[in-house]
Amino acid sequence: MIELQQVTKRFGNTLAADAIDLRINQGEFCVLVGTSGCGKSTTLRMINRLIPHSSGLLTIEGQEISQLDEQQLRRRIGYAIQSTGLFPHWPVARNISLVPRLLGWSEARVTERVEELLELLNLPYAEFAHKYPSELSGGQAQRVGVARALAGDPDILLMDEPFGALDPITRETLQNELLRIQRKIHKTLVFVTHDMDEALKLASQIVVMDQGKIIQQASPAELLLNPANDFVAQLLGGEDRGLKQAGLLRVAERMLPLPGPNSLDQAPAIQLHDSLRQALSIMLWHQCQQLRVYEGDSLVGYLPLDRIIRADSHV
Amino acid sequence: MSNRKRLLFWGLPLFWGMCLFLATLGLPWLEELFRQIAPGHRQVIYSRDSFALLLGNHLLLVGLAALISISLGLASAVFVTRPYGRDFLPLVTQVASMGQTFPPVAVLALAVPLLGFGALPTIMALSLYGLLPIVRNTLVGIHSIDPALLESARGMGMSPLQVLWQVEMPLAANIIIGGIRTSVTINIATAAIGSTIGATTLGDPVISGLVNGNTAYVLQGAILIGLLAVTADSCLDRLQQWVSPRMDSRT
Repeated sequence: MIELQQVTKRFGNTLAADAIDLRINQGEFCVLVGTSGCGKSTTLRMINRLIPHSSGLLTIEGQEISQLDEQQLRRRIGYAIQSTGLFPHWPVARNISLVPRLLGWSEARVTERVEELLELLNLPYAEFAHKYPSELSGGQAQRVGVARALAGDPDILLMDEPFGALDPITRETLQNELLRIQRKIHKTLVFVTHDMDEALKLASQIVVMDQGKIIQQASPAELLLNPANDFVAQLLGGEDRGLKQAGLLRVAERMLPLPGPNSLDQAPAIQLHDSLRQALSIMLWHQCQQLRVYEGDSLVGYLPLDRIIRADSHV
Repeated sequence: MSNRKRLLFWGLPLFWGMCLFLATLGLPWLEELFRQIAPGHRQVIYSRDSFALLLGNHLLLVGLAALISISLGLASAVFVTRPYGRDFLPLVTQVASMGQTFPPVAVLALAVPLLGFGALPTIMALSLYGLLPIVRNTLVGIHSIDPALLESARGMGMSPLQVLWQVEMPLAANIIIGGIRTSVTINIATAAIGSTIGATTLGDPVISGLVNGNTAYVLQGAILIGLLAVTADSCLDRLQQWVSPRMDSRT
């Protein structure tokens, strides 16, 4: 558990972080979101002491981090950044093995860990282990960056806009993989982004920041339902909020059981775990009012338009 | 690297080294040729000291001076790029630039009253003179590293010393060796001036030839200094390529 109490960072006369109170529980996916210069990156980097906090209490598992050895602390915390920070003169395998080596793991255990991580990130060992960062695409380099952050098996993972420089398709793939990995390894994740869609998609807890202060702290659904003020509402995209909310809900939550109406035969198909936003988009495109819902290859139900708009219709 | 590749890689420095070796031992055999160049002189081959001794002494002076300027230059450049030494950055840059704006003759002249005649003031002048390229290139090399890279190195939990040796030095090595190369090559030529204050160098035949109007002597000194400079330059050029970190799995 990471706990910040009245944590403040002053750079000269400016307050980069102003009396931050924040509690991030074990296994939580916490996303700090806000415009540039809002203090989200500063807050993140205070957690591994790349920026020392000026005042307040910042504890990890109850220990004030300024009391701990700086290097020991950082080796326990994974860190991934937008520009990857991979060492260009080291091949992929050596880059990933950095923290395990600093921790003094045996050579056999290091190799085993590198193989395991490359597999986890869908980078075949034989193809990638000996490549240099300059030979990787942006998405591959970022995967290696994530693998390196995970290498020492840290409980906490800090990520500073890791997918910010990637094209939309690669970004989405990596977001999905991060969610998959998180379901598997249950780390405490602190993730910084300026992209509200990314925050809504990934977070279990969203922290909206502005001018060094926390404006609102809520789960994605709660945030969409009750934005604290106009600033948050604007970040959420104003009139697009309905669509964003639909993006958080799964088809499975609104689907109706078979048999549907007779006209269902011509309806387009959608998958059970797709979002309502995707369902709506398909309906708009095909100009229809119902979809067939599949789980894998088997037909499991149907979804009419009014169920997307209101959860209680047809019940 | 295979043996054949290695030979090819070091081929050029080897070639110049052979030329230098042959010239050092073989110049006296070309007496007839030099007689054409300086017809009025009884003696046309410089013989106060053997060329081998002059070459050895010259190398020793330049080598010692290089050792001093490399250790001093590297240490001060690394110091002023650390957080605790950053205040000294302008000072070090200025001192190093001043070392280079002084003409070496002036440094020699100023050193004589302090250190007397001979090798010692020459070494001092050379090491001062060779300092700037090393300091400057080390600073450029370290500053050219992406700050995000260094931050991520620290963020991973590397100690300052580990960051220096495993990240900064390897990535700056190419540029640093470039500075050493400039420094050494300039100093091989500059060391000859040491002969004016009594150091024994390859400048001896040149100075003696200029004083006596013996072009043959001047030419013999100049040939050897030139060959030595080219040999050292090509050696360091290869060294520069050799230490540059690989960033590519091909080749």
